[in-house]
Amino acid sequence: MKIVVEKLEVWYNSTPALRDVSFEVRGGEMAFVIGPNGAGKSTLLKTIASIVKPRAGAVYIDGKLVSKLSPRELSKLIAYADPHVNTSIPSTVFEFLLTARYPHQSTLSFSMPQRDLEIVEEVSKQLNVSHLLNRRLDQLSSGEMQRVLLARAFVQRPKVLLLDEPSAFLDLRYRLEVLNYVRRSVEESGIACIVAIHDLYLASLYADKVIVMNGGEIVAAGTREEVLREDLLEKVYRVKVSLLEVNGRRVAVPLEPVERIEW
Amino acid sequence: MAVPLYERKVKHFLILFPSFIMLTIFMFTLSLSIGSSMLDPSKVFQAIFLKPFGYVVEEMVEVIAKLRLARALASVFCGASLALAGLLMQTTTRNPLADPYIFGLSSTALTLFALGILLVPNLMVHKAWVVAISFSGSILGYTLTLLLSKLGGGTSTSMVLAGIAVASLFSGASHVLLYLVQQVTRTYYMYLLMGSASTVLWTDLQFLTFPSISLAVLTLALFKPLNAYLYGDEYAKQLGFNPAMIRNAMSLVASLLTAITIASVGIVGFVGLIAPHVARFLAGSDHRFSIPMTALVGALVALIADTFVKLTSAFVGGLGELPLGVVTSIIGSPFLAYIVVRRSMRK
Repeated sequence: MKIVVEKLEVWYNSTPALRDVSFEVRGGEMAFVIGPNGAGKSTLLKTIASIVKPRAGAVYIDGKLVSKLSPRELSKLIAYADPHVNTSIPSTVFEFLLTARYPHQSTLSFSMPQRDLEIVEEVSKQLNVSHLLNRRLDQLSSGEMQRVLLARAFVQRPKVLLLDEPSAFLDLRYRLEVLNYVRRSVEESGIACIVAIHDLYLASLYADKVIVMNGGEIVAAGTREEVLREDLLEKVYRVKVSLLEVNGRRVAVPLEPVERIEW
Repeated sequence: MAVPLYERKVKHFLILFPSFIMLTIFMFTLSLSIGSSMLDPSKVFQAIFLKPFGYVVEEMVEVIAKLRLARALASVFCGASLALAGLLMQTTTRNPLADPYIFGLSSTALTLFALGILLVPNLMVHKAWVVAISFSGSILGYTLTLLLSKLGGGTSTSMVLAGIAVASLFSGASHVLLYLVQQVTRTYYMYLLMGSASTVLWTDLQFLTFPSISLAVLTLALFKPLNAYLYGDEYAKQLGFNPAMIRNAMSLVASLLTAITIASVGIVGFVGLIAPHVARFLAGSDHRFSIPMTALVGALVALIADTFVKLTSAFVGGLGELPLGVVTSIIGSPFLAYIVVRRSMRK
């Protein structure tokens, strides 16, 4: 399993969102995409998931051009944990999770394979949402919703996993637990995983590869040690950063903004 | 947890669905027994359902019951079609307040229907053309409402307001046109405006039954795309479905379902609002279960409303009958109010 992104260029009407983005991620690897708001992190994930069409460039999964794959083949390969799920028509967590198995079932079949139910059971137990199965989606707390969204992505059993802000709304315990779980499944199943995240601490704990984006372009890419540097982070985020050594890992701590808001 | 949960859900549905079918058969029999001459419901049941199995039935009961059969069947299929149209509209707009009447489909369809008869009076005989004209009307109404709501910001409230604007305009227009049409059709125009199953003929019934059954089967077959669509366009796309195609196809189906009821019964409001909510409450949001349940609840609501209409005319005995749509409005509007209030309380 290998995902190659080549010279991706995306425009929203007349505004450029991504320019000349190229990198690759192997199976069993976690790549963390960091960068300020509007850097193009979510756009990058959506383009890989074929939700947004690029103006130029290509995405290959195992040498196959993603834009040539049928929507159905694509849905078996890629799961994008969309942070925006519509809940205006009431439905339960269980009903939501079951939809994630549809790519692996025949569209017209009415039966529910036992195996699919077991996958839902397994994933919901591991992500600690099994007690929520009967609850309605619009009555979950933000943190519970976040875990349900992650569970949905894992129920789909993809080869490429795209996570958009998986740590948002989670408390300290779940931030670590959830990312530990992602780490373990990525290694065990050889998934290629790309995570867009703001939390630099989590990036320094779990990333095999860090991609720093700014203004739709890749500013730097490489291992944690290569990329998590004071000067680079300060330039990209406009924040003074100090690097501390914790348990033999370098951890970025934001200190103060370079420019203060005047009043 | 997941395996027994699913088994429980299926079992729940397998108990619920047949019991609602029994309830519908009971109401159906009751509806056949009520009229200017009251019949014994058990004898009616034998005459309609048990005759093929060799039961001996009173001829008089059989004749009267069969005379009333067209009307009862019309309300059953009209209710089921409207309910299904409501469910599809609620899913495709992801708005729990959607209904063919509230969104102005019914009034627009009726306006075009009346206009057609005024221009070409012998259109009345060709029911297929009446359906086609109402269909183009309901598509027009739906498109107008959605366009108007898009201009108004696209929120669920703007959708309802746009629907009210379209519905009011066209119900006014259809009032005027139908007033003129009653010269041609020789039926009191209120019946079409507020719906009545009493004017449905046996020969016209096929334009209600066959389309509604086949469209119900079609939508049920597409339960997976519909389920995925519920959670957002991008979500559906990710699971390999085309959200724009689901939306367009299902909007057409909803418009057609509305059109066939307009062409044979007239405007019956709020069934499409109530039935999906009741069905989702009982059987959950999975379309695999909610589609058959919605159709059944819709049929039951329309049947109860029609039985109420018959009872009032039998006991109170005014001139003519109450229109069916009046009764469903009385049941439906408080329900609409309840949904609106509950939504705002949750926020």
